[in-house]
Amino acid sequence: MANISLQHLDKIYDNNVQAVFDFNLEVKDGEFIVLVGPSGCGKSTTLRMIAGLEDISAGRLLLDGEDITAAPAKDRDMAMVFQNYALYGHMTVYENMAFSLTLRKEDPNVIHRKVLAAAEILGLTDQLNKKPKQLSGGQRQRVAMGRAIVRNPKVFLFDEPLSNLDAKLRGATRREILLLHKRMNATMLYVTHDQTEALTLADRIVCMSMGHVQQVGTPLELYETPANLFVASFIGLPPMNFFNVTIRNGQAVNKYFTVALTDAEKQLLATYEGKEVTLGVRPENIATGGDVQVKVFSNENLGMSTLVHGRLCGEHAADAAITCKLRGWCDYKAGDTVNVLFEKRHFFDKETTNAIR
Amino acid sequence: MTALSKEENRLIRLDRMRYTKNSLSSSLTYLAILFDVLYFVSIYESDVGNWYYNHVIGISVVYNLLFMLIAFLSSEGVKNYKLSYSVVLLALGAGQIARIFYLPMRALSETITRMDPATKQKVTVSIMEKPQFTWVVVCLAVSALCCFAAGAIGVYRSRTLAAYQATLDEQAA
Repeated sequence: MANISLQHLDKIYDNNVQAVFDFNLEVKDGEFIVLVGPSGCGKSTTLRMIAGLEDISAGRLLLDGEDITAAPAKDRDMAMVFQNYALYGHMTVYENMAFSLTLRKEDPNVIHRKVLAAAEILGLTDQLNKKPKQLSGGQRQRVAMGRAIVRNPKVFLFDEPLSNLDAKLRGATRREILLLHKRMNATMLYVTHDQTEALTLADRIVCMSMGHVQQVGTPLELYETPANLFVASFIGLPPMNFFNVTIRNGQAVNKYFTVALTDAEKQLLATYEGKEVTLGVRPENIATGGDVQVKVFSNENLGMSTLVHGRLCGEHAADAAITCKLRGWCDYKAGDTVNVLFEKRHFFDKETTNAIR
Repeated sequence: MTALSKEENRLIRLDRMRYTKNSLSSSLTYLAILFDVLYFVSIYESDVGNWYYNHVIGISVVYNLLFMLIAFLSSEGVKNYKLSYSVVLLALGAGQIARIFYLPMRALSETITRMDPATKQKVTVSIMEKPQFTWVVVCLAVSALCCFAAGAIGVYRSRTLAAYQATLDEQAA
């Protein structure tokens, strides 16, 4: 398969709008990379630059050490799967999957073997004589993947392939993509705005915002040690709670609570004595039984846990909203007061928004 | 993928028929329709007074329409390996041959007398001259040949596929 090297990639459109800024990434052979970020962050543009569907304004793109920055899409040996499947409605599944190889004038018998092998992998053997309109959304997306597989490309590119599917089908197709990656051990780049897809599929995640790479790391790294406020707020569901606190005498203090810092935190925040920082706490890192008082607004039981939405005692300031994911089944009523503690805390510099490490 | 033996290639060719259309027969049928169109465009072009305007021309026009309709439907049928449509194509081919002896032959052998506008004299002329006759016969013959070929290939492939499918069903059972 393939190693990809993206070096200082920029994308500037004709109207001088810059969509991607200094994108750097080394993708190892067989790696599953997920580009994640909100709409308009430049992730699809980056993928399209890799595919050759968008010109690269600056920087270099290497595939196995070979510079393919200016190479046309057809010469890049990459296959792309689109959100809208892009299947030919008048062709059967078999013909759709065989189409690119037929255009290359490959031996029909070889094409046949490749199509059957791909159909076997994707569980489409019984659907080969059907037209796309006779298939479900998930099956259509599998056909689109099959069309990519038969080409045996060096790199697979997925541009939000599950966005058109309903939640149940999305989960099933996601598992199929994961199995496909394990089976083929191919280099794959996958674009999504759905953090669940990113966390479950990726070997490494590239988190993007406003055209800039915010953090590159394994799903666990992004979850456990977010590089900045953006990554901390984007990764994790429900999102992390943030509070402005002042570091004073080994404590994080604001008008709602005072939290005693651990020795490690004191060391980390030594240079911030008397300064304001942002304290981040994931809802699942909040437990009952501390000094922080939360006035409950609503209570959502999820079975194994309960989502409690509230505000830090009686205040209505914007920074006082809090979401707690408490273990077990809780039956709080609106107006109840719950005492909670923050089990694991993240601190961010107020000015740079970077994590304090 | 490794190189395939002759036997493997034969089996794959057979298996391929399960998923690919019989486009050869279908294309040949379209060709037959095209030559039929060339035929009837050519045969009505002679300026021979009202010789054509009787039941002969009526039957000819209706037959042309029927031929094109049935041939088009058959092209779709043979594309999907339907044996009955292949037989229909063989019959259409025979019909095209028979047509040579109906209108073109009669037009070649008959003459009419008409007024020559230049000399204002009565002249006797052939309904159809030899070059035009040759052309329309070629058109009908090629159309017939295409129908026969499409039908024969259709019969062969339909039977082959049916036999292969039966083998697969047997193996599955």
